[in-house]
Amino acid sequence: MTLPFILNGEDVSARIRSVDRLSDVLRSDFGLLGLQSDCRCGSCGRCLILLDGRLVPSCIIPAFRIRGREVVTIEGFAQTDEYQDIVAGFRSAGVENCGFCDASKILSTAALLERRARPTNAEILEQLSSAPCRCTDPEALLRGVLAAADRRSRRIYRRAR
Amino acid sequence: MRRREAPEGGRRLSVSDFKAEGMIYAATVRSPVARGSVRSIEFPRMPTGYRGILPTDIPGANAMASFGTSIPVLAHDALAYAGEPVALVAGPDPILLEEISASTKVLCDEEEAYFSWESFSSDQVAAKHVAVVGDPDLAFSIAETVLEDSYTNTALEHYYSEPQGAAAAYDYDKLAVWCATQWPYHVRDSVALVLGCKNEEVSVRPTRLGVHLDGKLWYPSLVACHAALASIVCGRPVKLLMTREEDFLYSPKRARSSIGVRAALGRNGDLTGLDLRIAVNLGAYAPLADEVLGQAIFAATGVYTCPNIRVEAYAVLTNNPPMGAFGGLGASHSFFALEAHMNRLAASRGEDPMDWKSRNVLRKGSTLLTGEPLREEVPYGAIADRLARMSDYRRKYACYELVRKRRGDRIDGPLRGIGLSFAYQGSGPFLSGDDSNAYAVEATLDKELRLWIRTSAAVGSEGVLAIWRRSAAELLGVPLESVTVLPPVTDEVPNSGPSTLSRNVTVVNRLVDRACEAIQKRRFRDPLPLTAKSVYRVPKPIQWEEGQVRGSPFDTAAWAAAAVEIELDPWTFEPRPIGLWICADGGKLLSPERAAASLRIGASDALGACMRERVDPTERLGRRDDFFRYGLVPLHELPPMTVAFLEPSRKAPVKGIGELPFNTVPAAFLSAVAQATGVRVSSLPVSATELTRAMEAT
Repeated sequence: MTLPFILNGEDVSARIRSVDRLSDVLRSDFGLLGLQSDCRCGSCGRCLILLDGRLVPSCIIPAFRIRGREVVTIEGFAQTDEYQDIVAGFRSAGVENCGFCDASKILSTAALLERRARPTNAEILEQLSSAPCRCTDPEALLRGVLAAADRRSRRIYRRAR
Repeated sequence: MRRREAPEGGRRLSVSDFKAEGMIYAATVRSPVARGSVRSIEFPRMPTGYRGILPTDIPGANAMASFGTSIPVLAHDALAYAGEPVALVAGPDPILLEEISASTKVLCDEEEAYFSWESFSSDQVAAKHVAVVGDPDLAFSIAETVLEDSYTNTALEHYYSEPQGAAAAYDYDKLAVWCATQWPYHVRDSVALVLGCKNEEVSVRPTRLGVHLDGKLWYPSLVACHAALASIVCGRPVKLLMTREEDFLYSPKRARSSIGVRAALGRNGDLTGLDLRIAVNLGAYAPLADEVLGQAIFAATGVYTCPNIRVEAYAVLTNNPPMGAFGGLGASHSFFALEAHMNRLAASRGEDPMDWKSRNVLRKGSTLLTGEPLREEVPYGAIADRLARMSDYRRKYACYELVRKRRGDRIDGPLRGIGLSFAYQGSGPFLSGDDSNAYAVEATLDKELRLWIRTSAAVGSEGVLAIWRRSAAELLGVPLESVTVLPPVTDEVPNSGPSTLSRNVTVVNRLVDRACEAIQKRRFRDPLPLTAKSVYRVPKPIQWEEGQVRGSPFDTAAWAAAAVEIELDPWTFEPRPIGLWICADGGKLLSPERAAASLRIGASDALGACMRERVDPTERLGRRDDFFRYGLVPLHELPPMTVAFLEPSRKAPVKGIGELPFNTVPAAFLSAVAQATGVRVSSLPVSATELTRAMEAT
């Protein structure tokens, strides 16, 4: 079947089978390799995307469910100012990821900051647990998200003025 | 070939990202029985473009390059575990391949399998080492106090960044193999052996490794052999990527171990005798048995001086999938048992474990298990003082002891306890005395003053690369941007051995320095470009004799202590860590921030093993339910972690510190639970159910 949807701000369509998972379609049909598709049960958090603004694991979403909906992957999110805030915040806090979970951590942070401009430590740690990885230094990550929140607030404030 | 990478973190290709023109996929057909032999394999009817691959299709040897054990690439006559690869299927659609693989009938002649390992038959012994010092029998016969107990280490999943996988394709006159491995040269030698070609005809191009916890030491060689074989047989580029579930069920896990400890104390409470019996379940083929046992034995006496010691260690073969390394080899098993036991010993005498340890700790010149004197001073006093100040250990320990003794049967508030553990991480040989132990690094300074470093050492993070580059740039006085570490492609870089046991910062970093120093010496005498190669060989290989071990267990050691404070809910007995402190003497720190981050990350993983991570080996190592249940500790359940390092002396060497949390945190956690509850606990993770049962029993 042909499936039209919005991918990273563009109207696209893909030919899919009923068994296809969204993560596979994004990786193989659109070459979006920023997300992984490892566990195929939604637990490893390597395939997180923003679906209509909500953070979801794409490996458990049947591809046919996204007809007409908006999907943002790390490749699309990387074009935004929010992405720059988060990456700069992480870098300033010395967050070093393994190269596999980076996209999920960035999108998780984005989803959190969209909801709460000034999240508490507990909220940050709970949100970032959706992208579990053995490379995570909780302390650096906490500092990184707070720095990102700070940069984001300052940018929004500047723009508002 | 199309390579497209994510904007952030996509520094090197990963196996899952690999694509090539005309690429097909491969899947593994696995043994349904744990022991026996294959009678026949019947593939279902397959569409055009799909085919099955049997052991008879292997052009070379049906075995990987040896590393102390021989492991078949596709088992046939002697199946060693359920899920062992027996055949492959290859074709263009990975989903259809999964179905073909599942509907392939593997008929076997099943034999009775071995799963028991704590008590085992002589047929199951893959390796046995005994070390005796002094007269332990006499020490126990005249001892004032003898305390005996046994401790169990459970199997753990590595949960690495990417499941095991490999891709293979012809690149002109060579077979190129892509896989995430800690040991690229082992992959190369294994693939060449299986294909029956020269080593030089295979080029291994390591992909992004990520976090591995030693789970990608040798198993990637097996998967690479499968991908290479399928590529040769089908004449197409092939990718084989295991699913997380498949990886969880059939790839190696941390070995299980059971350690019986008997300790004798003299009249003044000093340690006079130690008797340990270590049994490590290494599963099928018992990979790295000697290494695991060696590490476990050297760590068996911990950080204590004791005149009479007996250590008996067995590597036990079972029909579980192969098991072994996890954030180190065997040292963490022994440290857990010994430290937990020593804490109990001190507590049974009514003494603060910190004080008892200070009286019995190793000192410079103390005789090690190998008969060699300890060459360095153990900074126990400095570490203990710093840790006590950071964590308020002494006050908390005394306070929680008092509370536990006074509360009797009535529990009306949260239960608290604090535990302490002291351990070291040795830096030294791996695969003792073997040729593959020759680590080499090459460096070239070209006419434009750019430095090129060549090493096959695989790194899991950019941090290690940054350390090498910075160190080389400082030595040669060149800008950091002009230093490049070349990709570890085997036909372009020298063999730097397996990247394990923190060797990237101890051995490889030293070799980078030496190569740069050699260039610096010739730099203003000889014309550029200049190339220098530095090689590291084990100075004195370990030798096992009857009841004795000779040699140097480590070149140098990093020492550390950890304190863990826990709180148990009075109703559910759910243990929750509320504070964790680590103080270490990590030698010369190449990057203090990264060193501290490394200890915090390790401590998070170690707490995972204490709180929830566990693979329950039954007849298969992992079951599907376990896969869905298994998970890392959520970040919000981790306690605040404080890490401190002692100020190193000017001549302090670089030391490996990555394993220190695994060596210290589990015993500290266990002792904290024991203090809070007053019940004997001897294995991790500590579950609320087990604690409730134990509390009710007392």
